[in-house]
Amino acid sequence: MSSADLRYPRPTILADYARAGIGVLLCGAPLLLLEVNQWLAAILVAGFALFALFLVRTALRHRTRYVLGPDTLCADGPAGTLVEWGRLDRMKLSYFSTKRDRSDGWMQLAIGSTGGRLVKVDSSLDGFHDIVERAARAAEGTGVTLSDATRANLRAMGIVVAGQEESV
Amino acid sequence: MLRFIVRRVLLMIPTLFVISALVYFIIDLPPGDCVSSQIEELVARGDADAHQRAEELRELYGLNLPLWQRYLEWVGGIFRWDFGLSCQDTVPVADLIGERLTLTIIMETSTIAFIWIVSFLIGTYAATHQYKLGDYVASFIGFIGLAIPNFLLALVLLYVGKVYFGLSIGGLMDPEYIDKPLSWGKALSVMQHLIIPVIVIGMSGTAGMIRRLRANLLDELQKQYVVTGRAKGLPPMKLLVKYPLRHSLNPFVADIGGLLPDVISGSVIVSVVLSLPTTGPMLLGALKTQDVNLAATFLLFVAALTVIGMLISDLALAALDPRIRFGATSEK
Repeated sequence: MSSADLRYPRPTILADYARAGIGVLLCGAPLLLLEVNQWLAAILVAGFALFALFLVRTALRHRTRYVLGPDTLCADGPAGTLVEWGRLDRMKLSYFSTKRDRSDGWMQLAIGSTGGRLVKVDSSLDGFHDIVERAARAAEGTGVTLSDATRANLRAMGIVVAGQEESV
Repeated sequence: MLRFIVRRVLLMIPTLFVISALVYFIIDLPPGDCVSSQIEELVARGDADAHQRAEELRELYGLNLPLWQRYLEWVGGIFRWDFGLSCQDTVPVADLIGERLTLTIIMETSTIAFIWIVSFLIGTYAATHQYKLGDYVASFIGFIGLAIPNFLLALVLLYVGKVYFGLSIGGLMDPEYIDKPLSWGKALSVMQHLIIPVIVIGMSGTAGMIRRLRANLLDELQKQYVVTGRAKGLPPMKLLVKYPLRHSLNPFVADIGGLLPDVISGSVIVSVVLSLPTTGPMLLGALKTQDVNLAATFLLFVAALTVIGMLISDLALAALDPRIRFGATSEK
């Protein structure tokens, strides 16, 4: 199996920059331009910090490329890290949606290997399905216990992991 | 999760702006303004300067300005905790709502805690003792709670308390603590007086939640993995807590958002009936007299609480059970 170079598509990154920018502006502008009550200022500062954090995370994602190899997943960028499939010890696949009927959402995969930092990738990443499939196979091999939600999300993606049946 | 939080919070901000605008404009829609009723009284008394006084008051309250300008001033003032003047007593809205808002938040929070704790215990008991006496009693309480309007229950309790026990259960504190600064005695008095309003306001919510938890837990308990666990000799408590109870708790979390507006709107009439010094009676008075600043401020707080409740509910649900639902699709 050869390595694949994966990145977040430009529209996704731009949309996230826009969200972060709007949030920073909406929370920061009143703090700078208006006389704000101390309690409301605390809420606005918290909001500002949240959007600023998201801006930093988006910038990191923008500068990061993911290299999916037969033995590793390498996040090559400013806060890069490496996941070794043979030593995978954490895997969580979550689904998020902001709609009431939980449609039009996105998946997030969080994986980590022994001694390494957690890598989180969203379903908007090119080749996300391949990463999840590889991680699922690795989880099968290393015997990582998967949560109910992760198993359900894997099934929804058409991926079945052996040895992860319901147990009581 | 960070992306989810950011997107949810970003949705909250325009939602609150739209609600604030709608509330402000709708309250102002009926003909006349808050000065009209005051002036009618003066005219009826034969005051010759009534119309001049009306113009002075309109200028004082900013009612001679266009509606959009008043709205922008009101919204701008929110950041300074200045909600303008109330027409009722010509005092700042911020001074009027201070303690009432605190008492309302305490009462609503206690009511939600009551709903959760009571419905969790009764719902779980009813589901695990299906068709036993306890289940029938719980179902009976549930139907009674759903069928009786809150204000009627408040009236019945007032009557029973006064006639049979000689108790006055109106108010939210003993008379000697009204308008006094916060003290241990006052806090204790508020806690004692909270019991009846919390039960009255929380009754229908508790009843509904008991029904939902019972139904969800019964569904889970009839699934094959539970039957298998039971057949394998798993202790009943472990079998209950490990999966079925956890799965059936999702509606609890999901309902926080819906519970808050229900509790708040239900508490308005109950507060009037029980003479509670919360925001409810004041809101009712403000709406009757078209006191736009006061009414819009209260309704904005209700909207903010609802939106925050929904945010907490969505975040908790996403953290507890981030699984895809049947019929939902994920973007690639």
